[in-house]
Amino acid sequence: MAYDPLSTALKFGFLAVLFLFLLVIARSAYRDLRRTAAPAPDATGFHAVPVGVGEVQRGVDAWLVAERGGGLERDERFDLIGGLSIGRSKDADVQIDDRYASGIHARLFSREGLHFAEDMNSTNGTLLNGAPLDGEAELVDGDTLQIGDTVFRFEAS
Amino acid sequence: MTRARNRELLALIPVALLLTAGFAAVFAQDHAKLGNLSLTYGAYFLAVCLATHIFLRFRLPHADPYLFPLMALLTAFGLVMIYRIDESLARNQANWFVFGLILFALTIYFLRDYEILERYRYIIATAGILLLLAPRLPGIGEEVNGAYLGVKLGPISFQPGEIAKLAIVVFLASYLRENREVLIVGARRVLGVTLPPLKHFGPMLVVWGAAMFMLIYIRDLGTSLMFFTAFLALLYVATGRFSFVVVGTIMFLLGAWFIFTTVPHVHERVENWLHPYHDALGNGFQVLQSTFAQADGGLFGKGFGQALLTVPGHPNLTMLPVAQTDTIYSLIVNELGLFGAVGLIATYLLITARGFKIALLANDGFSKLLATGLTAVFAIQAFVIIGGVSRVIPLTGVTLPFVSYGGSSIVANFVLLALLLLISDRARREAEEGVPRSGRDEALGAAA
Repeated sequence: MAYDPLSTALKFGFLAVLFLFLLVIARSAYRDLRRTAAPAPDATGFHAVPVGVGEVQRGVDAWLVAERGGGLERDERFDLIGGLSIGRSKDADVQIDDRYASGIHARLFSREGLHFAEDMNSTNGTLLNGAPLDGEAELVDGDTLQIGDTVFRFEAS
Repeated sequence: MTRARNRELLALIPVALLLTAGFAAVFAQDHAKLGNLSLTYGAYFLAVCLATHIFLRFRLPHADPYLFPLMALLTAFGLVMIYRIDESLARNQANWFVFGLILFALTIYFLRDYEILERYRYIIATAGILLLLAPRLPGIGEEVNGAYLGVKLGPISFQPGEIAKLAIVVFLASYLRENREVLIVGARRVLGVTLPPLKHFGPMLVVWGAAMFMLIYIRDLGTSLMFFTAFLALLYVATGRFSFVVVGTIMFLLGAWFIFTTVPHVHERVENWLHPYHDALGNGFQVLQSTFAQADGGLFGKGFGQALLTVPGHPNLTMLPVAQTDTIYSLIVNELGLFGAVGLIATYLLITARGFKIALLANDGFSKLLATGLTAVFAIQAFVIIGGVSRVIPLTGVTLPFVSYGGSSIVANFVLLALLLLISDRARREAEEGVPRSGRDEALGAAA
């Protein structure tokens, strides 16, 4: 079959439009991903919550800082972005070596610019500024969080 | 909001353009009757899509803007290719496309509160299993190439597996939503591997058993693989334990290996995959011709309408067997080359990404799991058939969603799309209205 300029043009035109179309959708999906990068706190705390690229550094304004215990370095910092789970389990974002801690003991998460701590029905409970944490409570700069013998400080800017 | 719908509208225009260009190219090749027939077809297609779009604008204003245009693009691919194979088949396919869209609209209209599905999950599960078994029933069952996938009721024949896949995903999503906690809490570590508690191993064994049974009974590796992988994806999302996936995969491989050694039909399929040259003109013919066709396409393909379906001068000597269903992917690669193949696969990837995004945005456990399951089963189906024709896995008779010729496939996938859009509409509406995201105790992370 001879090369027909028309059908060759149509073929390349088809491919060009196809790729442009897919590119536009991919770009838009990517932007969408960044815009709604507010981490979903209800995603399972076990695995990292996907956060848009570039969102990670810019958005960091809250940290969990180790004070003592748990087999952690003093002043070791954990970004709150994407939520944090704390516990003895390997699956926890902040793994602590504390015999009073449950597998997934507590979690921290952000919602609409505010930060919260929540006890995950742990066996021995969590102390927020010395008082038992019942369900979830808002965190402010300087709060202390105690799990077993492990103490954390919450810092926000 | 309406911005989402405007983006959908804008995205539909290039799709209609692609369909028109495709038809124009086929006409230019086949019968030099270019004229404005391709424009007419393009206009029909655009009109049908616009009608659906207007319906969505009213019923689901917040739903994901790109899912429908992406699926329309796949349909356009299918229509052009099927037309190029056989005009009358394309007319059937276009009718199925319209019928699928009507069912799509009805689903959206009547299933606005899709939680109702959760209430009827055991009925849905039973229906799904009966549908899967139907092809083996005497009188209505149909055997195609040794696998039992079709049902013939009088003049109508359909593939019940396509509809069953929806039923089973709905059931698994609602079952796992309710039982995920016990699966996690009771888990124990044995030799460094987290195993689900023994008494809850039951459901996993049941699903595994069902997958194995299907392999023996329906003799189709593709369907079995599709269901079991979707189950593992759901299990992983529900529990967050990768070890469950590993255990499940090992169980599936062991079972599949055992069946490979004992069931002749499955054995033959695997043999055709591993050693197609042993019977190059018989059993290995389809997969070999399919890979040759793909290689022959080169980078940019031979152009629309240029692939050889039959030996030149011998209309009865097939070059590419069952081009309209099983090997339609090979035909597309032959005519549009590697670039066309990448474009097609990218379309599936983008749909999958949108689907998982919907699952991320959704607020309650059932919606999350349902969106994940539907997306997973869709993506795996595409993988099973594309993998089959390119000899990554054994070739099986699964359709390429929205592209392959076949009514049940188109209709079932449009219902799948309707469910995804329903979930998406609610999730995005709640996100815009600022419904607190972790406020519901059935949200997935609440019981960790």
